[in-house]
Amino acid sequence: MAFVITSPCNGEKSGECVQVCPVDCIKEGKDMFFIDPELCIECGACEDVCPVEAIFIEDEIPEEESEYIELNRKFYQPE
Amino acid sequence: MITSENEELKNPASTDPVDITIIGAGPTGLFTAFYCGIRQASVKVIESLPHTGGQLTALYPEKYIYDVAGFPKVRAQALVDNLEEQAKMFDPSIILDQSIEKVERLEDNTFKLTTNKEIHYTKTIIITAGNGAFQPRRLNVGECDQFENINLHYHVKDMKQFKDKHVMILGGGDSAVDWSLMLEPIAKKVTLVHRRNNFRALEHSVEMLQKSNVDILTPFSPIEITGDNKIDKVKLQEVQGDKEIDLEIDAILCNYGFVSSLGPIKNWGLEIEKNSIVVNTKMETNIPGIYAAGDITTYPGKVKLIVTGFGEGPTAVNNAKVYIDPKARVQPKHSTSLIGDPKNKPETISI
Ligand SMILES: Cc1cc2nc3c(=O)[nH]c(=O)nc-3n(C[C@H](O)[C@H](O)[C@H](O)COP(=O)(O)OP(=O)(O)OC[C@H]3O[C@@H](n4cnc5c(N)ncnc54)[C@H](O)[C@@H]3O)c2cc1C
Ligand code: SF4
Ligand code: SF4
Repeated sequence: MAFVITSPCNGEKSGECVQVCPVDCIKEGKDMFFIDPELCIECGACEDVCPVEAIFIEDEIPEEESEYIELNRKFYQPE
Repeated sequence: MITSENEELKNPASTDPVDITIIGAGPTGLFTAFYCGIRQASVKVIESLPHTGGQLTALYPEKYIYDVAGFPKVRAQALVDNLEEQAKMFDPSIILDQSIEKVERLEDNTFKLTTNKEIHYTKTIIITAGNGAFQPRRLNVGECDQFENINLHYHVKDMKQFKDKHVMILGGGDSAVDWSLMLEPIAKKVTLVHRRNNFRALEHSVEMLQKSNVDILTPFSPIEITGDNKIDKVKLQEVQGDKEIDLEIDAILCNYGFVSSLGPIKNWGLEIEKNSIVVNTKMETNIPGIYAAGDITTYPGKVKLIVTGFGEGPTAVNNAKVYIDPKARVQPKHSTSLIGDPKNKPETISI
């Protein structure tokens, strides 16, 4: 399981999470940031600093945001 | 805590190989080092940070852990201190502040390990490297790298070096807040700079900080440094604002946390899957004589926890023991029969 960045990041893109990730697994996309699910060690550091509460651990993602699990993954492993 | 300051290097230049060299002094590495003592294997532990403890010390020293067998609740740093005490029972050589970069097999089947500082020889290796070597997250402003260890610091080796100085501390976590409080009575002045208004530190420490004489500048971040032989001046800019402040300082202590990456381990010819080293049930890697344990390993059903590392470490040691001495048994004697009296010197035990 990994942490996932969801829709509130879109538009905010503050980049706070990038500054704290201990394994450097958050990268900037066009409209938002994404977490590499293969590298995330689930430390939760990014969740604490996100000013718009965009970051959730996979199994706590609100229903309407669940497509972001795939969006984060696809950013790193495009088909 | 062992620091690089008080730990002598034991025969670092000796070409006599030790039985087992452990890469990484996280919880798995420390317990594995202890366990080498149980099997009377000579052991050296090499760690890239100037302190032991791995993720527990680098990422969450103040958090409580609830799932370590035998401890209903234990503070991460307290667990590390206990692991260190246990490991030291057999007097291992613990070498800090050195990162292993290269591993080569020699003609006699032993290994030569090259760190960023020196060379070590060993018969076997147990890799307990977690997510890779931790390094401090470095300040990224201008040419600041050249001032590292001159007056830009990432670790405090000796608090006295800040006596009567104006110290700028960067960061917003526990370390930045704690060091601000610790240095405030020693330094001439402490200025704490953080890019957000809120600190991510223990509530009690933040309260103390607000009552102290530490100058708190938020939300600011450094954008320019000036100086010839050392940093003399720092320009700060308000985050998402236009205010700028120029400050004359004597030293910077940057507490931006730690980052780890597998780095050179990827080039040692080990089978790697999703940034982890593939091992079998003996904790053997694809290279004979190299074992792995803890977060760095993967196998079907692998779970990354402190306690699983505590199991994998002894499995690796017991199997490495047989690799070194094929007449040895995999199954060890029980510690209860080995160490009846805790004052018994390990040398007096025969296995
Ligand atoms: C916020 C957080 C909370 C957690 N909570 C829990 C919990 O409640 N319970 C639990 O069981 N687990 C928890 N974990 C996971 C736990 O911390 C890890 O499973 C554990 O640290 C793994 O130990 P390790 O010794 O295998 O690796 P690490 O702790 O990662 O240690 C590896 C060490 O090896 C060193 N190293 C790596 N490469 C080299 C090299 N080339 N040369 C020299 N040194 C090197 C590194 O610098 C590091 O110090 C948590 C993790 C985080 C981040
Ligand atoms: S949970 Fe930790 S490792 Fe995962 S993305 Fe966030 S900061 Fe990085
Ligand atoms: S901290 Fe939150 S808003 Fe900022 S980049 Fe990360 S996920 Fe997006």
